[in-house]
Amino acid sequence: MNIFENPIFITQKRLAHRAGVLAPILIAALIGLSLLSGLIAYLADPGDFSFRSPQEAGKVFYGWTIGVEILLLVIGGFSKISRTLAEERKAGLWDSNCLTPLKPAQIVAGYWLGSGLREFFMAAILAGTGLVICALAKLPLALWPGTQILILSTALFFGLLASLVGMAFQKPQTGILLIGVLVVFYMPSLAFSKFTVTNFLLPVYSIANLFSGGDNSDRDWSGWPEIFGLSVPPVLLSLALQFALEIFLWRAAVRKTANPCQPLLLRWEAIAIFALLIVSQHALVWNTWHGAFGLSNNHSYQNGVEDDTLLAVTHCGTILIGVMILAFASPLPERVRLEALRAGGGNLRMIFSRSAVSLALALAAVASIASLTQFIFSFSDEGTVWAVAAANLFIFFLMFPLLLEFCRLRFKRRALGFVALWLFVLCLLPLFFLQMALWLAPALIVVGGVPLGEALRLSFVGCCRNWLAVGVYSLAFVFLMLLATLPIGLGWIALLPLCFLSSYAAYLDMFEASLEVLEAAPAAGR
Amino acid sequence: MSNPALVIEHLRVDFPDVVAVNDLTLTVGAGDVCGLIGPNGAGKTTTMRAICGLQECTRGSVRVSGYEIAGEPDELKRQLGFMPDFCPTYEQLTASEFLDHFARAYDVPNRAKRIEECLELTWLTEKTNALCEELSRGMKQRLVLAKTLLPDPKVLLLDEPASGLDPLGRIELRKILLQLREAGKAVLISSHILTELSGFCNTAAIMERGRLVTFGTIAELGQKMGRRQMSVKWRADGDRALEILKSANVKNLETTNLGATFDYDGDTNALDELLKTLVVQGVRISEWRGTGDDLEQIFLQSGAKELM
Repeated sequence: MNIFENPIFITQKRLAHRAGVLAPILIAALIGLSLLSGLIAYLADPGDFSFRSPQEAGKVFYGWTIGVEILLLVIGGFSKISRTLAEERKAGLWDSNCLTPLKPAQIVAGYWLGSGLREFFMAAILAGTGLVICALAKLPLALWPGTQILILSTALFFGLLASLVGMAFQKPQTGILLIGVLVVFYMPSLAFSKFTVTNFLLPVYSIANLFSGGDNSDRDWSGWPEIFGLSVPPVLLSLALQFALEIFLWRAAVRKTANPCQPLLLRWEAIAIFALLIVSQHALVWNTWHGAFGLSNNHSYQNGVEDDTLLAVTHCGTILIGVMILAFASPLPERVRLEALRAGGGNLRMIFSRSAVSLALALAAVASIASLTQFIFSFSDEGTVWAVAAANLFIFFLMFPLLLEFCRLRFKRRALGFVALWLFVLCLLPLFFLQMALWLAPALIVVGGVPLGEALRLSFVGCCRNWLAVGVYSLAFVFLMLLATLPIGLGWIALLPLCFLSSYAAYLDMFEASLEVLEAAPAAGR
Repeated sequence: MSNPALVIEHLRVDFPDVVAVNDLTLTVGAGDVCGLIGPNGAGKTTTMRAICGLQECTRGSVRVSGYEIAGEPDELKRQLGFMPDFCPTYEQLTASEFLDHFARAYDVPNRAKRIEECLELTWLTEKTNALCEELSRGMKQRLVLAKTLLPDPKVLLLDEPASGLDPLGRIELRKILLQLREAGKAVLISSHILTELSGFCNTAAIMERGRLVTFGTIAELGQKMGRRQMSVKWRADGDRALEILKSANVKNLETTNLGATFDYDGDTNALDELLKTLVVQGVRISEWRGTGDDLEQIFLQSGAKELM
């Protein structure tokens, strides 16, 4: 059946039109036109702008266009698809559709491609504007199709993930929570997309990083990394991995549509996808570590300790995603679950001996050893900070599959949402330590003139010594963040300056006196 | 029983803490309307969901017009219509668009005509272009019934179809069900409001705590439950009628205004003979009703009421 004849797609299209597509399209057109008019204004009178060439101006304006496009298509699409599916499941419409002779693949495809149509229309308008910007700014011809393919492929990947989330979780918010978790985990990688070349999120990062070099016209994602001696274009590698993951997710989504919480995958599929992630990432990181990655700015990472530790953390994150996928799509044989049901609940021995828990734990151990190898090589003073983060991740490795499987076997299925909440809390832990190192570092560098590495260390140590005040401040700030977000984010207008001011006040309290003493000491010595 | 359209054998459904359906064996023939009766939590809805594959069975088999869900799910889905106890509709679609969605999904030939027929059958023609959110609860219920009837299924599973309907809606639903019965459909209908089933069920299955307590035609069940309570009314010759009844050894005979109620231990044939005797003896009978055939009576006597 052609997708345009798919009843679910047609209905979703009708619903999108009934909810109104004209207003969103006009909003997208307005954003696009404002960016386009910025470029036109520059071309008309370059003296009013600080850009050095039309290409540079074009890159900035096109960068904004695709940024909004990503936001709409990836984040908006994910949210819409998972929400639609969760709501239709709750309303009983999912069951009604499953009772029709439609094939599971047709049902999934209908929701996957139909639910986010409004976001797609908006993104299409912006893509059109982007094309005009590229043409006016005389940007390279391949840039537009390249970026659009990357955006679309990522949106499709996320859409499929959203379908699974919508089918598995009762509440639509859980889907948003899950994507939040992914983003939190990949936050450190956002600034260093070169290292996350095999991550399925690469397209978003590479686009975000595309113009970050300012006058650097080389595109990061056009480098040629080596995997076991073979040169592979990172974009192709990323797309191939995304494609593999999409097949995996597709199979997961369509196998048991009538009851999506049932075990979705055969054991070998889960192992294969995990192996693919771990091997490619490990090989790539190894090569990058030894300078084999053809980076455009010719940095060498052989001796950079910070970069090595970062690689390890990135590596860790990717492996973690592998474990999450493995555990999420648990290869638990159906009969084990039925036996657990008949027995009136699971028992430990059966769960360990016959379910996927032991396999997940074994793979988590392999992943942890691989990560630890990296840490041992990169251990240094700064490494202590990362070691704490790694310990958290390690605990998470063990906790997640175990919790998930237990919840499946021993508790009700809606406990999955509860697990996702814990997952989120656990994700925040390593980030909190990272934040401690980053919080006062800018003030130390800019105001105190402290070198980068030392600034990070001092910030972390300062926060540790003032743990009570920092703890109270963090809690208060979380509360203020929520408060500021409630009035459609307008509260941030007041909160952001407050945030900077409070950072500066904290810096003065913690370091100003100490730095003065430090500065005075050599002077007195002289 | 007529040609069996729905055959359930040794069906068992487990939930983590409870056996929802336990060893259920049931057959519904074409042209039969079977009432699935039981208190809340008896396993009626789970049984229906298991029949159509929405609920996974621990063991047992379900055949719909000879097709099994595991073997030929597509064929089975075309033969089966399920109407849940709530009304899942796309609120922002019109009634005809909602039906069009499912007509496409079932690949119904001559879609527009069939949608029109189903709307007419459920008295919703006037609401063709109304949004689902504008429909009343009863109308939504009828719309979902129309959706269920779209592919012209041989077997219908109706879960509490009259809940939330006003008296007029219930009368309309009864008429529709009688039409379906006449059209030779096999209907399994669940309810815990027994009076609403009495009008159109010819067989009944009583469930309690996931188990089938009893199953059979209404007459068989009435007999199985023992003594039958009868009510008779006459226009004249009441004394003669009372004499005949007394001579027939009826029990608990109580006279009312131009009539009487009594308990009778004999089978259906003996009861027919008693009526014949009354008529032959010149008693002008205006009503002859077996209140023992009432589903409510059967249910109360079955003992499946502990959970109520």
